[in-house]
Amino acid sequence: MPKDNHHVFADGELSRNEGTLRIDTLDGETKYLPVESIDTLYLHGQIDFNTRALGLLNDHGVPVHVFGWNDYYRGTYLPKREQVSGNTVVEQVRAYDDHDRRLEIAHDIIAASIHNMRANVQYYDGRKEDFESAVDRLENQYARVENTTNVEELRGVEATARKIYYRCFDRILRDPFELTKREYNPPTNEANALVSFLNSMVYTTCVSAIRKTALDPTIGYVHEPGERRFTLSLDIADVFKPILADRVLFRLVNRQQIGIDDFEQELDGCLLTEDGRLAVLEAYEETLDRTVEHPRLNRKVSYKTLVRTDVYSLKKHVLTGEPYRPTERWW
Amino acid sequence: MSDGEDVLKQYLAAERDPHREPRVRITGLMVQYYHVCKRELWFMSRGLDIDRETTNIQRGTHVDENSYDDRRRSYQINGRIQLDLLDSGDVMEVKVSSTLEKPARMQLLYYLWYLDEILDIQKDGVLAYPKERKRETVELDSDARTEVEITIRGIINTVERDTPPELKKKPYCDACLYQDICWV
Repeated sequence: MPKDNHHVFADGELSRNEGTLRIDTLDGETKYLPVESIDTLYLHGQIDFNTRALGLLNDHGVPVHVFGWNDYYRGTYLPKREQVSGNTVVEQVRAYDDHDRRLEIAHDIIAASIHNMRANVQYYDGRKEDFESAVDRLENQYARVENTTNVEELRGVEATARKIYYRCFDRILRDPFELTKREYNPPTNEANALVSFLNSMVYTTCVSAIRKTALDPTIGYVHEPGERRFTLSLDIADVFKPILADRVLFRLVNRQQIGIDDFEQELDGCLLTEDGRLAVLEAYEETLDRTVEHPRLNRKVSYKTLVRTDVYSLKKHVLTGEPYRPTERWW
Repeated sequence: MSDGEDVLKQYLAAERDPHREPRVRITGLMVQYYHVCKRELWFMSRGLDIDRETTNIQRGTHVDENSYDDRRRSYQINGRIQLDLLDSGDVMEVKVSSTLEKPARMQLLYYLWYLDEILDIQKDGVLAYPKERKRETVELDSDARTEVEITIRGIINTVERDTPPELKKKPYCDACLYQDICWV
């Protein structure tokens, strides 16, 4: 049974109070968070905390994702590993270092990612507008994956697919939201701001799932380990962005749960207001808890569990050679 | 000398020699897993992790820790055998349910065999299912001895494979801690 994530928006102080977490906000409010019931803690406000608080989080294996000014992702405090396995890391690196094995895993990841983009566009085909040509072109990119012979070329296929995919957003999103071009660092308009924020949430969800295994988050297969972030999380996030981020985006905008006034235009870009962020996170967490009948596990699993089983599947693959099956939307 | 005997002899020799380590350190849990599912045993031996927060594990630990508290003592032997000794001198193994009877019995028999063969201590065993208010006695007769030895060879063979034993659907797969690894 997966536990819930907890988001703290207030500014204030996080401390340990015996066996539980305590938050004193600058508004003078005190709240207690039972640490046993938290999967992952997100800090969105300005929070002071000390090693005693971290120690308690550590004891319960709770990762803390920290967001800074205007909710830019700043970093993660990861608890001490409970799962340590030299064997796993050795096999993970071996798979990375072997051209054919790396390419095979990268193929699987990108194929699933394109499949999930296509599923989203297909969902809106006929419902909103005619997306037949985009579906066809995504289909072509999907077919090309198998024939790429190196990871760089594969990343090119992925980039082309993503471009085709993002171009559909304009027509999926209710006016006045538009995504003529995907831009970040900083996002230039409202749709870009939403995509950026949701993608960073998917990324942190993957960081938390990887931490529950003995896999090393810095060694990925599609992305290069030199990149600034945990490259394995970037890999897994590619599979889940269409499922977890983009559907939430479409829903929020099209059902008008979020509007243009939930954003503020700053000098250096467009950002969500605090109310906007709350609305997005509520919808995101609700999506993580959605369940779907799993064809091989014979039970209903939440989207959040799917992220975890995806990582398990990869881990099993590097250790045993049994097939890695990244989540391709089947429902 | 057949290969099977060879494996067992090596194991015995290494365990009896205080300065040597066997190639595979066989724990009671491994014996149990071997009789439940060899694939589970292989995964466990390779450090493939499972979700430790699951309620099944918590329930098992709870029943074990809170049954017959005052009449038994725990011993840890050579870092692989963890057994409970009753005041009567019998070795007791506590299980939540009797559905997987053979694996539990083999685990207990392995303890008795280990005590006898490695440490020269002769004991009888009791299998207890406190929730079912049921107990049975277990003795290390010559048939049981043979079964334990077949098990040890089997465990070593399984653990030393390069790939896990094939996926096969069993009636209790749905309750297994490794299901998310096996079937995804």
